[in-house]
Amino acid sequence: MKYLKMTLLKTNKIIVLIGFTIIFMACDKVFEFSPYEANVKEDNKNTTNKNLQLIQNIKLNSDTFSFAFVTDNHYHYDNLRTVIDDINKKDDILFVIFGGDIADAALLKEYEIFYNTLKNLNKPYLTVIGNHDYNSNGEVVYKQMFGNYNYSFEFNHNKFVIFDDVVWESNKTPDFDWLSTQLTDNALFKQVFVIAHIPPYSDQFDNDMEQTYKSLMQENNVQLLIHGHVHSYYFGKFYEDSVNYLTVPSLKKPTYCIINVHNKSFNFELIEL
Amino acid sequence: MKNRNIFILFIALLFFSNVFGQDSTLIKDKAWYLPDYTKIQFAGNIGFFSVGFGFQFFNNHLYSELLYGYVPASISKAEKIHTITIKNTFPVFTKEINKIALSPITGFTASFETGNNSFLKLPDKYPKSYYNTNAFHFTLFIGAKVHKNFGYQKFIKGADVYFELGTVDRYLWYAILSKEVKFNQILSSAIGINLYF
Repeated sequence: MKYLKMTLLKTNKIIVLIGFTIIFMACDKVFEFSPYEANVKEDNKNTTNKNLQLIQNIKLNSDTFSFAFVTDNHYHYDNLRTVIDDINKKDDILFVIFGGDIADAALLKEYEIFYNTLKNLNKPYLTVIGNHDYNSNGEVVYKQMFGNYNYSFEFNHNKFVIFDDVVWESNKTPDFDWLSTQLTDNALFKQVFVIAHIPPYSDQFDNDMEQTYKSLMQENNVQLLIHGHVHSYYFGKFYEDSVNYLTVPSLKKPTYCIINVHNKSFNFELIEL
Repeated sequence: MKNRNIFILFIALLFFSNVFGQDSTLIKDKAWYLPDYTKIQFAGNIGFFSVGFGFQFFNNHLYSELLYGYVPASISKAEKIHTITIKNTFPVFTKEINKIALSPITGFTASFETGNNSFLKLPDKYPKSYYNTNAFHFTLFIGAKVHKNFGYQKFIKGADVYFELGTVDRYLWYAILSKEVKFNQILSSAIGINLYF
C-alpha cells in the first residue's frame, strides 16, 4: 500500500513536470524581460528590403496593375486577418502597402503579432511608419523589423515614395529635403504616388510645414497621396490644385482600398467587408 | 490629474504594505517594518533580473514584495530599462512532502517605468488626452513554489524556489479580443528564489 502511494505521488510529480515542460516549450518566447524590449528576432528583421526584392521580381506585361492599401491596424488583428484573406483571393492585386499605426502602444509584442498575422498574406507588403508606431521603443523596433522610415521604389514605370511624416511622437520634423530630392526626377515616370501616414492638412503640422508639404506635391506633379491617421474616408483635391488626396478608414472595421494603376491615370475601389 | 491619482494610489499601496506588516510582530520576533525575505527573480516582464524584499501577510496567504528590475541595453536592444514593481503572490494551498512545502501559486504585479519613451504626464506638445500614460503595466501569473526551512538558528532560515507562467495586461486583452492572437504568443516564464533571514 505504501509502495503504491509512493508510486502515485511520483506519477503525479512527473505529470506536473511534463505539463510545465509542454507549456514551457509551446511558448513563443520562453523568457520576456519587459514590454518595452526591442530585441527583434533575426527572422523578422529587414522586412522592407526582403519585400522590395519580391516586388522587383514581379514580371508584368501590361500598363495596368493594382495594389491594396490597408491602414491603422492598431490592435484590430481579426479585421487585419479578414482583409488579408480577401486580398489573397484577388490575383490582380500585386502587392499591399500598410499606411502606418501597425501597432498601438508600439510594444515589440504588437509588432510581432502584426508580423505573424502578415505571414498569411500571399503577396509582398510594405509599410510606412505611423505616429503610434513611434510610442515606447517602437522607433527602434520598426527600424529593426522593417527598415528605413523613408524609402522609394519604382514599379512598372511608376514611382512610389514612402514618407515618414510623423512630428510629435518622433521628436523630429519630416525630412522634406529628402522628399524633394526623391521627387525631382518625376518627369521620368508615368505617375508618382506618395504614401505617408498623416495627411498634410492634419493635426501634426504647423502652417509652414503644411505649405512646404503641399507645394512639394504640387510642384512635382504628384498624382496621388495616400494616407491613414484620420480613420475616415476622403478623396479629392484638398487644396484645389492638381494633387489628389486619399485617406482610407482604419481597420476598426474590415475596410481597405484597391488602387488600380493605368497608363497615365488611376482609379480606386473602397472595399468594405 | 488622472496620472497624479495613479501615483498617489501607488504610494498608498506602499504604505498599505507596511501597515499590514504589523500583523507579523505577533508571530515573529522582528520589528514590523523589517522585511521577511529578500527576493531575486529572472524574467517575467518586470526586468531581466529583479531584486527586492517582501512581507508575508494573513498567515502566509499573501506574499507582497517591492522590487527593482533592470534590463541592460545589450538585452533590451534599446535603452536600459528600470522598472519598479509591486508583486503579490498567493499560494493556493500548501502540501508538505518530506519537509518540503509545495504550493501552486497565482498572483499579479504592478510595474512603473519611465524612460524608453514612456511618460507619466503627457508631454505638452500633444493635445489634451491624446494618449494615456504608458508608464504602468500589470502582469498576471500562475506557477509553483517549493519551500524548505533550514532552521531558526541558521543565518538563512529558509528558501523558496518558484517557477511562473505569466503575461502582461495588454497582451491578455489582445488574446481575449482576437482569435488571431494565440495564448502561446503571449505567455512567458519566470524563475526566482526567496531567501528568509
